[in-house]
Amino acid sequence: MTAREFRLTLPATAENVIVVRQAVAGLGEVLGLSPQRLADLKTVISEACNNVVLHAYEGEPGPLEVSAEPRSGELEIQVSDRGAGFQPRANEGDPSLGLGLPLIAALSDSFEISGGAGQGSRTTIRFSYEAPESANNGTGVDAQAPEALEMAITPGELVKPVLARVMGALAARAEFSVDRLADTVLLGDAVSSSGEGDFADGRVGIKIQDGDGTLGVRVGPLVEGAGERLLDEMDLPGAGSLRSLTSRMEVTTGETAQGEKAEFLEFEVTS
Amino acid sequence: MPANEGISAGVRTGELALERKDAELAVLTISGEHDLSTAPNLRRRLDGLIDERVSTVVDLSPATFIDSSILGVILDGRRRATEAKLGFAVACSNGSGAVDRVLDVTGLRSELPVHARREDAVTAASGNSGKSPP
Repeated sequence: MTAREFRLTLPATAENVIVVRQAVAGLGEVLGLSPQRLADLKTVISEACNNVVLHAYEGEPGPLEVSAEPRSGELEIQVSDRGAGFQPRANEGDPSLGLGLPLIAALSDSFEISGGAGQGSRTTIRFSYEAPESANNGTGVDAQAPEALEMAITPGELVKPVLARVMGALAARAEFSVDRLADTVLLGDAVSSSGEGDFADGRVGIKIQDGDGTLGVRVGPLVEGAGERLLDEMDLPGAGSLRSLTSRMEVTTGETAQGEKAEFLEFEVTS
Repeated sequence: MPANEGISAGVRTGELALERKDAELAVLTISGEHDLSTAPNLRRRLDGLIDERVSTVVDLSPATFIDSSILGVILDGRRRATEAKLGFAVACSNGSGAVDRVLDVTGLRSELPVHARREDAVTAASGNSGKSPP
């Protein structure tokens, strides 16, 4: 991953589109986009995600994968699925009446849809920080829908706004009260304070499971000792501990994607 | 405003509020963020009003985000209302940047049309149903 890139994988459901929208809006804020361009970005990412939700898996569960990478003066966004891809048939079963792709085309600099039978589809969007002058078929669906949202963010300034917005969106969806929602965002801020050296693979890995008024968060893989350091940082001098905002917070051991032993910080927040 | 308060306000999905002007006209106000996840609820509310033979104004003024699925529901509601010979109009005054942008880019501001004042939309909905405004 390059500086300030992030990746997000989550189940392709209508309820998750706002989570992606908030994450990308956080990135847009860090990049200093104007309010108008930020609004355009939210529309573009939502329409691209809608296409996956509506058409990729034909009602079956499957993953929605989003990545965004700032380049010189523009953002490259990729929205991918591992399903049938969206169909070129006009309007059939599409509640947007076919307005989605024209909106992406009008508000981005360029976009390209690629994919093929059994390959899923990928929409690649180039989105300049300034507004432009003018304002797949697949078959085999063998992808497993992720059980939780998984994010990998390059350490640095991007982590706090993206994580705060994603955790806030999930807490809001779980009908947390305003106070508990604020608590959840505070915990996200605390996790954001972890350094690049804390993470075993050099990127901030976050997994969030939501359901039944509870958010379960797993941070890692962490290098040895980083979990305890993060736990200590939850204690605020003179202001109690952020641990008290959770129903459970502990350091656990597990494995990285490469099968290596690693630490994780896990906590749960309830409504 | 503390950052967390801004996030708390911004991440909640949208709400719908129904105001009955009289037995034959209602205003459905859309606030917050509306997308694919809230479109079915909006469709149910519009279908219910049309089934009750109530002319409808959709007020987008407090909405902070709408996507193409919401536009599709509104267009479909207008079609159904027209077929049922009921009034239907859309209002959006001082809309958010995101809402204004999709209305302009899709050409729906003039196509629907979108009235800049709710009162004008109420008059239009009453008028195109052939009834006098309340």
